[in-house]
Amino acid sequence: MRRFSILKLTLKVVLVFIILLLVVGPFVGIAIWSFARIWYWPNPIPQEFTLRYWAEVFRQGRVLDSLLLSLKIALLTVGFSITIAIPAAYAFARYRLPAERILLFLFLMPQAFPQLPIFINLARVFGRMGLRGNMWGIVMAHTMASLVFSLWIITATFKSIPLDLEQAAQNLGASRWRVFWTITFPLGIPGVIAGAIHVFLWSMGEFNAAFFIGAPFIQTAPVLMYTASAGYNMQIASVIAIVLMIPSLLFMLVIERFLKAEYIAGIGG
Amino acid sequence: MKRRRDLFVGFLLILPALIVLGALYVYPLILSVYTSFTVQGRYGLTNYVKAFDIYWRDIIYSVAISFATTVATLIVSVVVSGYLRFKSWKFLELMYKLPLFIPFLIVGHAMRVFLAPHGTLNNLLTRILRIEELPGLSRSWIGLVWAFVWIMTPYATLIVLGAFRSLDSAYIEAAQNVGASKWKIVIDILIPMCRPSIMVAFILTFVRTISSLTIPIMVGPASPNMITVNMMFRVNYFNDWGTANALGVVSYLIVMVFAIYYLRFMAAERGGIKA
Repeated sequence: MRRFSILKLTLKVVLVFIILLLVVGPFVGIAIWSFARIWYWPNPIPQEFTLRYWAEVFRQGRVLDSLLLSLKIALLTVGFSITIAIPAAYAFARYRLPAERILLFLFLMPQAFPQLPIFINLARVFGRMGLRGNMWGIVMAHTMASLVFSLWIITATFKSIPLDLEQAAQNLGASRWRVFWTITFPLGIPGVIAGAIHVFLWSMGEFNAAFFIGAPFIQTAPVLMYTASAGYNMQIASVIAIVLMIPSLLFMLVIERFLKAEYIAGIGG
Repeated sequence: MKRRRDLFVGFLLILPALIVLGALYVYPLILSVYTSFTVQGRYGLTNYVKAFDIYWRDIIYSVAISFATTVATLIVSVVVSGYLRFKSWKFLELMYKLPLFIPFLIVGHAMRVFLAPHGTLNNLLTRILRIEELPGLSRSWIGLVWAFVWIMTPYATLIVLGAFRSLDSAYIEAAQNVGASKWKIVIDILIPMCRPSIMVAFILTFVRTISSLTIPIMVGPASPNMITVNMMFRVNYFNDWGTANALGVVSYLIVMVFAIYYLRFMAAERGGIKA
């Protein structure tokens, strides 16, 4: 009996090790690279370490510039996406619109259908309008493609708010506008925040639109990361990758317990 | 009268969102189809002939890679979900979700470092197994599928595990009472009863894989390529929008075949339950 449990324990330890290697292993590689100054095979760790590449994140230069640009684009995108999504979500939740499901599905299209050709053609259209190589072009593309996150999450939140609360206020003579701002919206704030975080994370890590629309004049952090990695500048690429990864992991850990498959299963259906 | 006014107000509220979608999505979508049929202002199939001529291998390759990814992802997520349905293991619960929100491009870079000939994985394996050299997996189809499975599994598992967990325990207990093993329950009860959700996971994984550009440019082999990489090359190096868009339309068609199959499947499933 005892030997059996020891065997079981060993198996579990091996399993934990394999899972850690598979899931966390890739991060370990880039984490080491971000501190490496000289690293030649076959040394298991770099011959010389440096903080030089991490300093780039905080010093004036292309790394900091690209990160700030990405942040700016992401914040603007969140602003636009939420502003457009709130009235639409309210309409989907409270007015009986014809073909509601089809309309909602339409907003999913940019995420559930090949995206690259859309961005390539959008870049061409923007090129004619002078929006190529321009931050606003990227903001517009990001707003369009991320609308589904804010719209779907906020719609679901508004739908979950009991109608009785609004009707009670209406019976007391409040206008629909007032009811929205004093009841529906405050109760829907968690959904608005969840939507905003989703849009923010997506925009920060987005490559396709930023690459084709931003080229050749502006580089967001993911585009700079790609250029660095393609040019075998592993340290710069790894530093940017880690900086961009931190918000995603933090968000993951924060919402871990609220994460429901239904939301995402809904995306497929 | 009130109903019509409501309808009008509702329509006005969704109008800004519809304008954004129409101008920035539907218009480029139509433009991509239109461009694929024109060469220097004349209509024809020249772009498609060219696309198939140069890239027929890559089209098959893309479908094959996406299919392999999808099957591997589903196997991993069914195993993980099956385990977590019966036993709670916080560690595994956290681990499978960890990659969920990490941007694809970053995964591509991390995988490239991890799977390189002298990368993290081989560095470790050669030491454990005490061998001199191991081939690198990055820049090969195995590395490509590996990276895709890594990034797709969290979503697929979330869907499959959600379905497994929402299934009434009575079925499972009944099977356990007559002595069925856990894996038998997974294969004979959980999978068949959760087929719609598994199909959703299947379609979602396939579409996300075949439309991804960032993973194949970071870890894919130089040749053959996924069609997304070819689209990028066509635009960046040859300024050839016609062929790029023809490839784009081909990718729409591949996805649509799957989507139609899925919708039919769902319709049949629903009809079957009703009857």
